[in-house]
Amino acid sequence: MMMANYSIYLHIPFCHHRCSYCDFNTYAGQEQRIPAYVEALCREINLAAQSSPNPLAIHTIFFGGGTPSLLPPEQLDKILTALRQGFTFQQDMEITLEANPGTLAPGYLETLHELGFNRLSLGMQSANPEDLALLERQHQYFEVIQSVKWARQAGFNNVNLDLIFGIPHQTMERWQATLGLALGLNPEHLSLYALTLEHGTPFQRWTERGLIPLADDDLAADMYEWASERLDTAGYCQYEISNWARRKTDGDIYACLHNLQYWRNQPYLGFGAGAHGSAAGYRTADVLGIQAYIAHCAGGSGKPFPTTPATITSTPIDRRTEMQETMMVGLRLTEEGVSARRFKQRFGESLAEVFGNEIAYLVGLGLLEWAGEDNETLRLTRRGRLLGNQVFMQFVGD
Amino acid sequence: MSDSIRNFCIIAHVDHGKSTLADRMLQMTGTISDREMTEQVLDTMDLEREKGVTIKASAVRMSYTAKNGRVYELNLIDTPGHVDFNYEVSRALLACEGALLVVDATQGIEAQTLANLYMALDADLVIVPVINKIDLISARPDEVAQDISSLLGTSPEKIIRISAKDGTNVDQVLESIVCDVPPPIGEDDAPLQALIFDSHYDAYKGVVAYLRVFAGSIHLSDTLRLMAAGVDLKPVEIGVFAPDMHPMEILTAGDVGYVATGLKTVSECRVGDTFTHAAQPAEAPLPGYRKVKPMVFAGVYPVEGEDYGNLKDALEKLQLNDASLVYSPETSQALNFGFRCGFLGLFHMEIIQERLEREYDLDIVVTAPSVEYEVLVRSGETLQISSPAKLPDEAEILEVREPWMKIQIISPTEYYGTIMDLATRRRGIFREQDFPAPNRVQLSFDIPLSEIIVDFFDELKSRTRGYASMDYQFAEYRRDDLVKLEVLVNGESVDALAAIVHRQDAYHKGQALVTKLKSIIPRQLFDVPIQASAAGRVISRATVKAVRKDVLAKCYGGDITRKKKLLEKQKRGKKRMKMVGSVEIPQEAFMAILRLEEE
Repeated sequence: MMMANYSIYLHIPFCHHRCSYCDFNTYAGQEQRIPAYVEALCREINLAAQSSPNPLAIHTIFFGGGTPSLLPPEQLDKILTALRQGFTFQQDMEITLEANPGTLAPGYLETLHELGFNRLSLGMQSANPEDLALLERQHQYFEVIQSVKWARQAGFNNVNLDLIFGIPHQTMERWQATLGLALGLNPEHLSLYALTLEHGTPFQRWTERGLIPLADDDLAADMYEWASERLDTAGYCQYEISNWARRKTDGDIYACLHNLQYWRNQPYLGFGAGAHGSAAGYRTADVLGIQAYIAHCAGGSGKPFPTTPATITSTPIDRRTEMQETMMVGLRLTEEGVSARRFKQRFGESLAEVFGNEIAYLVGLGLLEWAGEDNETLRLTRRGRLLGNQVFMQFVGD
Repeated sequence: MSDSIRNFCIIAHVDHGKSTLADRMLQMTGTISDREMTEQVLDTMDLEREKGVTIKASAVRMSYTAKNGRVYELNLIDTPGHVDFNYEVSRALLACEGALLVVDATQGIEAQTLANLYMALDADLVIVPVINKIDLISARPDEVAQDISSLLGTSPEKIIRISAKDGTNVDQVLESIVCDVPPPIGEDDAPLQALIFDSHYDAYKGVVAYLRVFAGSIHLSDTLRLMAAGVDLKPVEIGVFAPDMHPMEILTAGDVGYVATGLKTVSECRVGDTFTHAAQPAEAPLPGYRKVKPMVFAGVYPVEGEDYGNLKDALEKLQLNDASLVYSPETSQALNFGFRCGFLGLFHMEIIQERLEREYDLDIVVTAPSVEYEVLVRSGETLQISSPAKLPDEAEILEVREPWMKIQIISPTEYYGTIMDLATRRRGIFREQDFPAPNRVQLSFDIPLSEIIVDFFDELKSRTRGYASMDYQFAEYRRDDLVKLEVLVNGESVDALAAIVHRQDAYHKGQALVTKLKSIIPRQLFDVPIQASAAGRVISRATVKAVRKDVLAKCYGGDITRKKKLLEKQKRGKKRMKMVGSVEIPQEAFMAILRLEEE
């Protein structure tokens, strides 16, 4: 029997500085804890590997953060070694590291590539100094140029740039300039995220106090639509609401396989403080704090798969919920969508039986459409891409 | 026997400490133990405790050993503290011989204190003034004592100063009740006359009438007659409140107690009615009975159509305990099937709304409250219109009359100007002014009820930093130039958003309403035009632009749980809105007409 390929997410919760819009689980000024943290992370990996009923095959690894590029090469090596010991690496592994421009150096990138990293995701966010200052990013645009150049020299042929639009005071022209400059770096992959005001961030407080203007959703929509066309012209294929990739020579695209794993609702394990996993019928989450995480891992012994001593929540996912979540994440894939055939294969019930009413309603509103060969792919319409919540919410709750 | 009985009530403005004082007396007389003492026993409904006012009257018997060594039966009759329940208050007062007038040492005399005091004097009660909250730093008991003295003629030093909270001098209050309040008079062997001053519904015993026996006596075996309702009945149980229902064999003249009637609806057993014996009836009922009429009307609709039956059941159950709640089925084009409900006032309406939502767990839409208009039409008929949407076409109407009230506002004199301004803006007509105490003014106006129910009290409170208080009574119906203000959403007239306004106000109210609705109605998947029209002319229009962007950023690090919760929350919010045609309208919108002043 063929086992589903697993993915692994590793959370590295360290940053030199917390950006003003960020509500991720990350901590500034804790870098002295990196060695102990990596040790705990390796222990969690070992315990999870031992608890799995049979050796798991993995095909993607993603180091996210925080700022994973704050980890010295030897620490990254330790983690990869633990992973190699515990799991079977497939051919054509995708191993991604998120990095902040300004934390990278040519030698560091060469070592990463030698360790097996083959995809680099850079938090560029904007090319405009005022945007970068407001976001409290710790880099300048020229450092993005340098980072990409060094990455190429080190052998990375799969580079992603993250960009943010809908930043307060950001004009359409400024956004167009940022995207133009990003395209000039010829990345294989681009992620464009609309800025979201997150609870508890400086951005939210500033907005409440009237220090920065409220986001203009209509302008953000214009920016998104303009970017879609611009990227299309530049030869990028949109494959997810916020993600575009260039074509490879073999005709495939440089999609992020790791993220595809989430959107296809396939299994993944999450290691590290605040990391989330989804495997064997459970969604899991690890304890948030760095010290708490270290303590949990040090003190704990093996737990039933897919939990570890660091797990603080473990939610069983029943079939109905799994179907709902498959829709909620799958419909983010703008081309692939949710395949009626594969849905039926996976769940033994057809889309029409389970979600007939919801689908008819959303198709009626012009937010969903049937496409592809045999018309068996359910996906967002072009208009629906910006109104995804109106679609996804129909597939959650009672 | 009856000379050891004292029947009294407590009158006070909201928050002046009536319930706390009652609690302390119950404790000091051993009527309930300290352990049983949940805060404010007399208020049994959760809502009352939260709102800090007693909604339903209640009665309790205390046994008190006075300093002279004799044991007295003290019957405390609790009265509702809100102007909406004036009639109930008047009946409860009638059942007493004395009243404790509780005045907050920090706040002084307020409008409801005065209104209730005048009612108590009308009912010939002996007034025992008490100054409460002397433990507070901001207390100014000497000043308040002066004010009370100039009102009642009691010498300031004789006024008892207490802290109901910590119990200081509450013993003096009990003594004063025994010494100053006269015992009830009435003959046990005269034909029975017993006044109903409150009631509640009990699932096993039917309607339980709270009563005061004025003459004659009640035995369990008697056949009783309700004189106004014309109903005869055999009591299921009779007894007193100690403080829970405690069965007795007999109630005699002067007693305060209850009769469990076995009746199925409170409307057969109304407050103010008189019990007598069927075999040997009294010549006449006790005076003052009237059927209370609702003054404020609103549509109550289930958010989900399938809840209609549940809403109906809930209203039926609420009415069992509350004869002043009336309702009848109503159909709205916008909101489908629901009920037009009549309430004594806005406060009463709020209570019912909250009880439907909390106790019966119903999602409801309540339309903006309206008064009942009298509309004389060309056919010569006079229509009673309590739903603005039902106002006939202008061509049909000869005249529209609306209810006017007399209101009294008491406030520190410095707010004189702003109160005048508020009242005249709301079409109020100044009648008189009075200075009941130094630095305090009482202003009286005639004003349309429809202007009071639109946010008047909140506005008054905000203009006077909370210092003003208000009381009102119905005056009469008067004709005026009134028109229907209609609202069209997405091209369709939404009946539940219609209002009846003065012709002079139609234009600016229409504009303000459209602006308000534009800010309340969320952006939909298409453009939604909103228009206001009066007398067939569009006054104002605005468009809620279609939503263009509503999508989550990435599911970071595979954490879809959090995003899912956000979606679920968004979905619940959507569900709570009412679909009118193809437009989702939040509950708030139906109240928008009430909040125009904020703009």
